[in-house]
Amino acid sequence: MAGTTFMDPHDVPVIAGTQGWERMYPYQYQFSKDDPERGAFESSQIWYYDGLHYPEPHYPFDLIWDEAWSLALSQYNTRHFIIPPALGIDHRIVNGYVYITPVGIADQEVVAKRVPHFLERAGYYYQNWDRLYENWKKKVTGLIAELEALEFSELPEMEDISVVTEGVGKGRGFDMLKRYDDLINMGLLNWQYHFEFLNLGYAAYVTFINTTNQIFPGIPISTLTKMVSGIDVVMYKPDSELIRLARLAIKEGFEELFMRPLNAAGLMAELEKSPAGKDWLSEMERARYPWFYISTGTGWYHHHISWNDNLDIPFDAIRMHIRSIKEGKEVGRPTEKLVKERDRIVEEYRKLIKTDDDREAFEQCLAVARTVFPYVEDHLFYIEHWFHSIFWNKVRQIGRILQNSGFIEDVEDIWYLKRDEIKQALWDYCTAWATGVKPRGPSYWPKEITWRKEVYKKFRDWVPPPALGVPPDVVTEPFTIVLWGVTTDVLGEWLKGGGDGEGEQTELKGSPGSSGIVEGRARVLRNVSELSDLKEGEILVATTTSPSWAPAFVKIAGAVTDVGGPMCHAAIVCREYGLPTVVGTGKATHLIKTGDLIRIDGDSGAVVILERI
Amino acid sequence: MPGKETRYTLWYEETDGQDFNFVGKKNANLGEMIKAGIRVSPGFSISIYANDTFITDTGIKGKIEAYLADLGPVTYETTKKASEYAIGLIEAASIPAVIEEEILSGYRRLCELSGTADVPVAVRSSGAISMPGQMETYLNIRGEKDLIDYVKRCWSSAYNVEAIMYRANKGMGFLFNIGVGIPKMVNSRVSGIIFTINPLNGDPSKISIDASYGLGEAVVSGLVTPDTFLVDKITFDPVKTTVGSKEVQCVYRENGSDIIQADVAGEMRQRLCVSTEEVGELCRLGKLIEDYYGKAYDIEFGIDADLSFPNNIIILQVRPESVWSKKEVTARTEKRKDPMERILGQLLTGVKLK
Repeated sequence: MAGTTFMDPHDVPVIAGTQGWERMYPYQYQFSKDDPERGAFESSQIWYYDGLHYPEPHYPFDLIWDEAWSLALSQYNTRHFIIPPALGIDHRIVNGYVYITPVGIADQEVVAKRVPHFLERAGYYYQNWDRLYENWKKKVTGLIAELEALEFSELPEMEDISVVTEGVGKGRGFDMLKRYDDLINMGLLNWQYHFEFLNLGYAAYVTFINTTNQIFPGIPISTLTKMVSGIDVVMYKPDSELIRLARLAIKEGFEELFMRPLNAAGLMAELEKSPAGKDWLSEMERARYPWFYISTGTGWYHHHISWNDNLDIPFDAIRMHIRSIKEGKEVGRPTEKLVKERDRIVEEYRKLIKTDDDREAFEQCLAVARTVFPYVEDHLFYIEHWFHSIFWNKVRQIGRILQNSGFIEDVEDIWYLKRDEIKQALWDYCTAWATGVKPRGPSYWPKEITWRKEVYKKFRDWVPPPALGVPPDVVTEPFTIVLWGVTTDVLGEWLKGGGDGEGEQTELKGSPGSSGIVEGRARVLRNVSELSDLKEGEILVATTTSPSWAPAFVKIAGAVTDVGGPMCHAAIVCREYGLPTVVGTGKATHLIKTGDLIRIDGDSGAVVILERI
Repeated sequence: MPGKETRYTLWYEETDGQDFNFVGKKNANLGEMIKAGIRVSPGFSISIYANDTFITDTGIKGKIEAYLADLGPVTYETTKKASEYAIGLIEAASIPAVIEEEILSGYRRLCELSGTADVPVAVRSSGAISMPGQMETYLNIRGEKDLIDYVKRCWSSAYNVEAIMYRANKGMGFLFNIGVGIPKMVNSRVSGIIFTINPLNGDPSKISIDASYGLGEAVVSGLVTPDTFLVDKITFDPVKTTVGSKEVQCVYRENGSDIIQADVAGEMRQRLCVSTEEVGELCRLGKLIEDYYGKAYDIEFGIDADLSFPNNIIILQVRPESVWSKKEVTARTEKRKDPMERILGQLLTGVKLK
């Protein structure tokens, strides 16, 4: 091992040509020794790169979700449920990459004082889980409806006459500024809801994992997931809708039409020509809202578009499903079989338990894990997919307004502005409109954005070290354990470090996602629209996957992702399909080329490039 | 078809544990295992009745009885002479055509099954009474002529001095007819050991498999680092798989029955020697054996290169697991008042990193 500590976070060098990059992000995200106490705290913590969520450097706007979860996750640990030994997770940014650290409580007396509060507060949530969760769904879907209703349009030459006759007493410029605040606040509220249940959900799940591991050392996560997994999992609904549409297309005799080399628009135009085709289209429209809001990525980045943003993607998937059905392959989730299998697994495990104490521990943990698991599985769709997919497009509406008024050259340039800077630009835009003068934005932003794009490119070429600072003895923060899978082994692997990304690297290390070892040719896919390139038996190499990739899973022999932990989507789906999978390798899509012969070990997390093409 | 008691040969799967009087114990046990679904190497039994018919029809029986009557009191010397006499007669005689024809037709069927002319078989003695190690078993017998020779040798091995003495001490007679088993030699591409628990910690929810190329000796004697598979016994999901170095393998010497070591090609060392579907079948058989006997088992297996999946997965030997089965079982979890206490306990403990 190279050592027992990582580089001090204050010592990370600035990349040449990016001096001043700090202004792209909030000031509190920087490592700094200005305050010696804060500097010493920073030096004493373990900071790990959150590659799970962020395979790419941050666009200034997209950091909104990082800030949102920084607030929400931490507050629920620290201030709501009073998790006895764990405070929040602190965040920093280095060269565009987010580093996080769990903050614990060392003083055992403080921990002890927190215990009764935790039992009361968390106890209430666990006891009233189903009722509170039902209420949660109402809150979130209500919020999404509000978000959908929010529209941004150009400011008018003249206010409408009704503003005068109805004595409205306020103008469209003010409205726009307020709506922007509303939009941002909805986003932040959405993330408040995200963590209302998740901390407790993970705490119960960690307890289940560790208790069953005491009884059955090394019991695979896949087995545990099968024991607690829900049957009507919302995340599988988009794919099951596509299968329904595929079957309907076969029933109505549209197979041949779907096999023609037409894009979505072309197919839809053909379908419009017949009454049965129109019926099929209206079935699809029904499925689109909300199910086509599923993101083609994780939903964390603005460029993770949804099916609704590009109908070619679901249409390609329907085409794949039609082919699979015609070939007699099993498509989708065989729910009856899954229920039977779940019951069998639990029953057989029960029989293997040899003492009453262990039996009681198992039953208690299983019951709580089953209570919390639907939320753990389903919240992603509501928050990261459905809400985010709509949210990004609302921001694009603003981008279009700013583009039309010359503030930015392209709608997609808006992501290079921090959310507060967008507010400033809108102030500039609205006051200039009100006054009847030229705003400063058009002479200010394009130049700045050009510079930021250059900086961003340099960030992208930089390989962030996996961790900075000093590893602790114990981690008590539930997310750090379950989601990021920070363990002694992982830290050891990180400490080996050295020569990262240099020269001919042929071995990568990630987290075990789904068990098994497989060799095969790699197929590197940057996004879901390339899915049709996949050939039977190839190993999928992708930044990340989402349920919208489901049609691929019947074809591939295994999967490797840049991002993800044992509970990430790719891992969950691959376990369901029994495909060896390694997640969170950090850079598989950079190192591996389509056609390379690779071996992946879903038990150890090792990926080896055996032969280059 | 005549009743079992008057058949000269019976396929293993035609017999069960009750038939030890017809085919001997070892053979009857193999039939019993097949009934339970445990796959053993394909083969057949030459019945005790066939042995009896042979010594009766050839007149050997009468000659021996007459020889014994003239021999005088039983001493080591006279026993040795009687042994030589009996063995000489048996090995010089011809097996009655109808019996020989049945043995050879069984053998031909094994050749066909393996897709090999002159397939190697074992010729194993199988008495109706257990007489451990008293009689001979011959390995790697090939071709019809050798097979017939070795069947006679196997029959004659019941008249080894040691075997005769052993029986005499038990108050049994001189004449002793035995069953003979003719299983196909497992042409082990891979062999290994299955434990129906995790042998490292006694965890009953795992199946452990060690496997390496060639004959089982390499794994059993620790000559190689085998591939290891730890599998969830309930779901058959792999828990931990490691690729062993597997530098050498044990094989039979060409045209011989002694075992020699051979190098394993570098490329084969780096690959797992067992496929995913083979691991699945090994687990299925392991679980079946455990369920059948009602306790944890230690199982030797071979994967036969002449047969196709799943018939290539052959169980060679089974015995009860002897270490963990004897230990007292204590709770592995702490006692807690309710689930909340349990979650609290987990949070307070955290996960140790160092």
